[in-house]
Amino acid sequence: MRRSFKGLAVTYLSLVVLIPFAALVTKAFAGGPAAFFGAVTQRESMDALGLTLLCALVGSAVNAVAGLATAWVLVRDRFVGQGLLNAVIDLPFALPTVVAGVTLYTLYGPSSPFHVNVTGTWIGVTVAIMFVTLPFTVRAVQPVLESLTFNAEAAASTLGASSAHVFRTVTLPVLAPALLTGTGLAFARAIGEYGSVVFISNNLPYRSQVASSYIYSLTTSGQTRSAGAVSVALLVIALVVLTACGAVSRRLTHGRR
Amino acid sequence: MFAPRPKWSRSVVALVALGALALSTSALPLSAARADTTTTTVAPTTTTTLAPTTVNVVGYSVVGPAFKALETAFQATPVGHNVAFTNSFGASDTETSNVINGQAADIVNLSYPSNVTTLVGHGKVPGNWKNQELTYGHVNAALTGKRQQTTYPTRGIVTDSVVVFVVRKGNPLGIKGWSDIIKSGAQIVTPNPLTSGSAKWNLLAGYASQIAQGRSAHKAQNYLKSLIAHTVAQPTSGSASLAAFLAGTGNVLLAYEDDALAAVAAGDPVQIVTPPQTLLIENPLALTTTGVTNPGATAFYRYLFSAAGQGILASLGYRSVLKSVWSQTRGSFPAFKKPTDLVTVTQLNTKGWPGVDPEFFASQVVFSRGTTTYPSKGIVTYLEQFAGSQS
Repeated sequence: MRRSFKGLAVTYLSLVVLIPFAALVTKAFAGGPAAFFGAVTQRESMDALGLTLLCALVGSAVNAVAGLATAWVLVRDRFVGQGLLNAVIDLPFALPTVVAGVTLYTLYGPSSPFHVNVTGTWIGVTVAIMFVTLPFTVRAVQPVLESLTFNAEAAASTLGASSAHVFRTVTLPVLAPALLTGTGLAFARAIGEYGSVVFISNNLPYRSQVASSYIYSLTTSGQTRSAGAVSVALLVIALVVLTACGAVSRRLTHGRR
Repeated sequence: MFAPRPKWSRSVVALVALGALALSTSALPLSAARADTTTTTVAPTTTTTLAPTTVNVVGYSVVGPAFKALETAFQATPVGHNVAFTNSFGASDTETSNVINGQAADIVNLSYPSNVTTLVGHGKVPGNWKNQELTYGHVNAALTGKRQQTTYPTRGIVTDSVVVFVVRKGNPLGIKGWSDIIKSGAQIVTPNPLTSGSAKWNLLAGYASQIAQGRSAHKAQNYLKSLIAHTVAQPTSGSASLAAFLAGTGNVLLAYEDDALAAVAAGDPVQIVTPPQTLLIENPLALTTTGVTNPGATAFYRYLFSAAGQGILASLGYRSVLKSVWSQTRGSFPAFKKPTDLVTVTQLNTKGWPGVDPEFFASQVVFSRGTTTYPSKGIVTYLEQFAGSQS
């Protein structure tokens, strides 16, 4: 059984993930390393990558806090409509991202009912990223919070610790690895996000164009090698962040033992 | 046992609930937005004894509604009864690369001729596409039984249009011509030239307007720089640009006249300003290598160039390429004072699109000797870095 699972996993991963990635890397380096670095370090590319990284970092950081709070409310609170809220959390995943983008544009654009216009700014892009990546942090933290028994928290509380102190020293360390994993996933998803951000960004090259849109425009104008190169740069960034999150998360888990 | 209940929990709930509410109530404005890419299937209305065929239509973003009308009308004719359609519409360059990557296409209607040339290079469209009309079109007497009074050959161009300005109702900025859209306070919306054919027509129109007024190529480039600097949004397609403009972005949209007329007909709070000089838009249509052997596709191709098909296109705001239809409908389109006010691409570059494309849109910018500000290749690519800098 173990062997057949292994075979299935390796075959599946190769077909679905590894071969496409290998093809992409091959394409990116088809013009040699100089062409690769040239494409990535071009000013238009660097501007797009910089904006994307900034928005992905801020968006996933905000979602780390907001997602933790939401998961907490879902697990620890009881209120009318809780089941509905729990179901609604995942909807950003189900909604076509283009629809999300248009919706956000109407809400936070030039004709915003709240008189807030963030279109064409990094804040607008970040808002879109926050919308599409919220489920990652909530769903990563929620099961850990559910499986957590109150014994340790109750003990700390009876020993005279304030609720904030209990949260910081007892609850948060248990949640941290899951929170970190969720935030890492949100970040990785954010840097590749296209549909929801391309509209709200106003898509101005050098100013408000995100990396995914820049890559898309390279592809449609026949510059597939450059598109591959910038894509590989995004993948490397994602890999570094996910690996770091994983390493810190493992250290935290072992540190608790 | 107790559950810690931080005081902020209720406000978090309220915040999340508000977000959910905002999401549900905001579904309304979506109807105003035009989707970037749509794929629909139109079923035949009746079945006859003719062999059923399916025709795969691929088109640039704004032509979608026109094809829906054309297909329905074609299916109501005896020859079209048994023909079903699949449709895919999106930014022209995107659709072109989709076809190269294997998307089924029997008829392609793209924004500008270079897209078709690219498909020819990939073996997707026969090299003689500009003469397909002579074999499959309405001018073939063997197919139609009579020779029509036409402007043939149209060299594969199925619709004409012009670049116009779309402004807010009442024209608050008093925009009349090209010099008004680079004044301070003007905010232009025009699509991204790397993904949209509409964007290329628009930028070339700005350049052409200066040439038409007798200005030098360098002055025309300076003008183009100001135009790009006043651009506040470059959505991925013509349709996405209209959606952004209708959502409130900018105060002047550069658009196809037909798309602008459709927006006005739809009741959107905008009006059209036809500038005194502009560029003639010519949208190509071709049967692909699979299309030429598909009887449904060749019949539909013939229909599109016929008086019936051209009549529908004219009613939807396109300037007809068929002389008989144009002479009947030209009254509903603004005319130009002098013939030279309506510039053609071949007037900008004698090679036409094969010349204009590298001159303006090459990815590698090339400067002629003695200048570092006026490229001889990739003019727009070079000027893009100034986009949004004077907004």
